[in-house]
Amino acid sequence: MNALKAVIRRELQEHKWGFVYLPWIVGAFMSLVVVMVYIGLTEVNTENFKFSTEVFSDSETVQGMNEATFEQRKAAIRAGLLVLGSPLVIALGFAILAYSLSTFFDERKDKSIVFWRSLPVSDSFTVLSKLSVALFVAPLLVIPALLFLHLVSVTAGSIYFAVSDIVPFTWAWQAYPWLDWIRVIFSLWMQALWSLPVIAWIMLTGAYSRKPVVAAILPPVVIVLVEGVSLSSSVFYDSLIDRLLPWSRSSSFPKEYENLQVAEISDVPLLLGMNEFWIGIGLGAIFVFLTIYFRSKSDYASVE
Amino acid sequence: MMEANSVITARNISKAYGDSSALSGFNLDVHSGQILGLIGPNGAGKSTFLQAVLGLVDTSGELEVLGLSPNKDRHELLNRVCSITDVAVMPRWMKVGQILDYVEGVHPRFDISKAKKILSNTNIKKSSRVRTLSRGMVVQLHLSIVMAIDAELLVLDEPTLGLDLSYRKEFYSQLIEDYFDGNKTIIISTHQVEEIEGVLSDVVFMDQGKEVMSGSIDELNQKFLELRPKAENLEKAKALNPIYIRTELGRPVYLYENVEAEKLRDFGEVHPPAIADLFLAVMKKNKEGEAK
Repeated sequence: MNALKAVIRRELQEHKWGFVYLPWIVGAFMSLVVVMVYIGLTEVNTENFKFSTEVFSDSETVQGMNEATFEQRKAAIRAGLLVLGSPLVIALGFAILAYSLSTFFDERKDKSIVFWRSLPVSDSFTVLSKLSVALFVAPLLVIPALLFLHLVSVTAGSIYFAVSDIVPFTWAWQAYPWLDWIRVIFSLWMQALWSLPVIAWIMLTGAYSRKPVVAAILPPVVIVLVEGVSLSSSVFYDSLIDRLLPWSRSSSFPKEYENLQVAEISDVPLLLGMNEFWIGIGLGAIFVFLTIYFRSKSDYASVE
Repeated sequence: MMEANSVITARNISKAYGDSSALSGFNLDVHSGQILGLIGPNGAGKSTFLQAVLGLVDTSGELEVLGLSPNKDRHELLNRVCSITDVAVMPRWMKVGQILDYVEGVHPRFDISKAKKILSNTNIKKSSRVRTLSRGMVVQLHLSIVMAIDAELLVLDEPTLGLDLSYRKEFYSQLIEDYFDGNKTIIISTHQVEEIEGVLSDVVFMDQGKEVMSGSIDELNQKFLELRPKAENLEKAKALNPIYIRTELGRPVYLYENVEAEKLRDFGEVHPPAIADLFLAVMKKNKEGEAK
């Protein structure tokens, strides 16, 4: 247990920008945007999402808000917070990919692998600990920044509603889905497991290649091209993209759940019932096994 | 079967990298309490052997370290063996205090307060990052960590390579005075023999992946003697077949193998050879033997 704690602490010390600071930077930026929108300094206007105080000048909207049931309020708040939080989740995705690429490459590059391997920590323990950092610890670290963003958003909204005499201050708070914290954590963990083959593949390239970026990208590109030219299909490409998108949106996910946004814990069995999920876990396990193998074969020769 | 106090038993160890062989049929016995110097020119196979001891390379032959197989039982072995190698391997991004905390977390035999105490006698601060330390300080840091680990075997592979003379002297004096206690075993490889002269209890001379000669310092001091013959005795001294002749300050110095000191004393000043000179003599003799 001490060893696991020590390894995870070391990983977070080394990758504190990606895993500790980045969520807060993005979270603070989004919080600032939210506050500025309510003050009336800016607005967010994308194809799918409009966030502006203008909507509240429409009397129908205000009436709708006043008449909304508890469940409707909850759904609206949840949807809004999901969109506001998505930059954090996307940043987390990039941080995990960057970590996976560098974690086994950097220790070879700076030769510290010789020091790490001179201590009584086995290669399988190291690889599995690092994997658990990418899959489970990193998502957990996003939660405080996400919580902060939610609290700022709901507080700013409530103050605006109360001051502008739209709805009472408590309107949003009563319906704020506190239990979403657990939901978000589980969703992110399941998402990480869904993306395991990609994460483990990238880790593997860092463990053996001198040019991990090329080694990570080239083989998939070649497979996509060969499949496209010889079979005129894009099965590999589609499934690859699937792995990088939210698992509830994956094309292999049952269609009736297409609108599912953040998965409930009760949706987890759905994911566990998908063959694609287990194919991904199996493929990921092979890559992890190879990563352990290559790390155990690292001697001075491979770092020179 | 290993003997009770045997630390390393190596039989017929071979290792080739492509066409070139790094070790060819190397044998070695190291016992508890020895400070053994593995001495040889660059490319003699010293590093390869020490890597094999640490389970970092696969070799053919039989190798047992503390009764364990370095490859199969590597993890257990690393609880009991420490090493410092010739490359700077300390993680450059880390702070000294972070490294100490990490080693404390993963090494059951590491005593962090001891490491802190050793470091308090140096210029290395806990808050310093490794990348800001000089090469000598990084080695000093590594030694401080290793000295705070209660290991049975310490493997030092050219540990002072590239260091200033003052650091090199400091390194070995610290090692002997503060670390070595007679129950530990140390194996040191180097090609700079002078600096470990007074440190070793045993030596093994290596060349081209093989042992050329081995023995305890006491044995060697009895077997080999150096003579500075007086000018009038040069011919008589030569007649006793010195195995090696060198010049010091313009005067010849003869090295003898298995010649009684009493005989030599008649011709001049007699004393045991420095390991460095013995090494050169043995290597030369070995080369001549091969030529024949």
